[in-house]
Amino acid sequence: MSQIIDSLRQFWQFTGFANCEWQNIVMILIGACFITIAILKEWEPLLLVPIGFGMIIGNIPMFPGLNIGIYEDGSVMNILYQGVRQGWYPPLIFLGIGAMTDFSALISQPRLMLIGAAAQMGIFGAYLLALAFGFAPNEAGAIGIIGGADGPTAIFLSSKLAPDLMGAIAVSAYSYMALVPVIQRPIMLLLTTKKERLIEMPKPREVSQREKIIFPIIGFIMTAFIVPSGLPLLGMLFFGNLLKESGVTRRLAETARGPLIDIVTTLIGVTVGCSTQADKFLTGKSLMIFGLGLLSFVIATATGVCFVKLLNLVLPHGKKINPLIGNAGVSAVPDSARVSEIVGRESNPKNHLLMHAMAPNVAGVIGSAVAAGILLGFLG
Amino acid sequence: MSKRTILSFIAALSASISVLNAQNAVDLIISEVLVENRENIADDYGEHNGWIEIFNTSQGTVNFAGCFLTDDPGQPKKYMVPKGDLATKLGPRQTALFYASGKSERGTFHTNFTLKRGSTVYLISNDGRTVIDSIDIPEDLPADMSVSKAAFDAKEMDFVTLDEPSTPTPGSKNGSSSAETGSSRIQRTDPHGWVLTLTSVSVVFCALAILWIIFTYIGKLSAGKGGKGRTETASGKAKARRKGAPDAETAAAIALALDRECGGETYAAIAAALHLYLEGTVHDEESFVITIKRSEGSGWNAKGQTFRRLPR
Repeated sequence: MSQIIDSLRQFWQFTGFANCEWQNIVMILIGACFITIAILKEWEPLLLVPIGFGMIIGNIPMFPGLNIGIYEDGSVMNILYQGVRQGWYPPLIFLGIGAMTDFSALISQPRLMLIGAAAQMGIFGAYLLALAFGFAPNEAGAIGIIGGADGPTAIFLSSKLAPDLMGAIAVSAYSYMALVPVIQRPIMLLLTTKKERLIEMPKPREVSQREKIIFPIIGFIMTAFIVPSGLPLLGMLFFGNLLKESGVTRRLAETARGPLIDIVTTLIGVTVGCSTQADKFLTGKSLMIFGLGLLSFVIATATGVCFVKLLNLVLPHGKKINPLIGNAGVSAVPDSARVSEIVGRESNPKNHLLMHAMAPNVAGVIGSAVAAGILLGFLG
Repeated sequence: MSKRTILSFIAALSASISVLNAQNAVDLIISEVLVENRENIADDYGEHNGWIEIFNTSQGTVNFAGCFLTDDPGQPKKYMVPKGDLATKLGPRQTALFYASGKSERGTFHTNFTLKRGSTVYLISNDGRTVIDSIDIPEDLPADMSVSKAAFDAKEMDFVTLDEPSTPTPGSKNGSSSAETGSSRIQRTDPHGWVLTLTSVSVVFCALAILWIIFTYIGKLSAGKGGKGRTETASGKAKARRKGAPDAETAAAIALALDRECGGETYAAIAAALHLYLEGTVHDEESFVITIKRSEGSGWNAKGQTFRRLPR
């Protein structure tokens, strides 16, 4: 009998209940919160569900040494996590993004590319703030990239510059991407007048197939020559787009934007979630990262809108740009463009800004990849 | 194909493979040499010999098996690095250490010559002629001090021989700058981040401005080419709109797009629904009748607006 009791006592030591600490419970609750938001509100469900469940997986208290934890070499989760640590997943996701992105809006109105560049100030604003708060330059760069509003880019850069902060940075980036409508709308309304919000933009011209094919080739060569360190992201983004637009590689494009991106998104989501183990995640630094991440989104939105207002000072009448598409320079595709459309229609129900907003939106994707390349070049 | 051709092909293939094996050997340098070893690192036999350090400057693995080391330009094949030893594969930015013990029978990393002050050590390619790198040993090199090469450029690729003898660092990178990461360099030169910020913002703007200029030009070219055709198309479309029916080009484009996307019943249903819609016979009463409902304007997160859902 005593042997049975001893065995049970020993077994108890192996259970999660015996090893549980309050931090584990907090993280499991946060994970559950993510899943709830994703299901009830449908905010970025493709990411928040895997990340949320990954958080729960990663924070089940366990007996160390079983070789099952994400940070234990050779465990299944550790092997899957290498795609994040070594930066394999983000370029594969970019391949899919390229294969599902239509750059027509951008090609037809190339001047709107500059808005995508202006909104990258969110990255560098957060970088400056992070330095002021005492982060090392490599950490500040990784935190700043949250302002790019691009999850794969944030994971790619933070895995290279500050792997220890990657969990907090990834969760922060995806959380704020989900909250884009909540964050951006008040800033857009605050920074624009009623008259500005009513500006109607001319319909974009039609784009020929030839232009669509040339765009990824020229776009890649130019950006990669300027920032070779952004090669993995830019290369895959434009390659995916060429698969889509070439018209002769439909099967490859379908795979890239379908099964491939789904598989990689699932793996990246669950492993990033898993990496947020309480002892590594619940720190003062994580809280600061969340604060700086929010500020980076605010700065990016504000600079995008203000840049359009500045442009309008020099643009002739009839060619003025509605500043409500300035927020779309934040590369949360397509949520930020959708916010432009909704806020625009609130002022003028007949004014559809979505097509116009998609231009800075996809330019923002290119801009954030370029910015990541620059930061990697300087700080890597 | 004759046997002779096949044999020639195999011979050529083998030759190319052997050349390929060592083709990256040009990325190797002799990074450090110590001649008189009194208290420095001991070899596997516990002896203090002079040593030669080889450094792989590239980001790829280099196999230097078959290459030669010598201190006599008239005898370039003095010591051949044995083939078949996995240890001759040198990882990116890694070093290999050869003991100049004069006893090559002790293993791959023991040369058959010893080092002398005032001589030059050469690393020769596996062709036995091409000098990959060399380093001069000063006449006055003190004991337990080495002559070394270090890189001080941003990419750490341009290695120069240091003027002064240095404290030996066998098996690790040379020079103080090698230890400095990009982050620590920025911390030292730009602690508040303004320089990096302004530089980066300028580069992002430049990159996208170049694309803007190029695609404005391409757009104008494209518009110029189809000038007349486009006008005709526009007038045709206007005419078609007046009639209340799509013009032939639009109809053909829609048909082509539907056919290419997937065809079949789904798009037949869509076509039927569009027909009913255009005819004004849309209704919502009976079963088995296709209906198009107008969207009432949904929120940003409505299912119908999700861009990730692709048409099947």
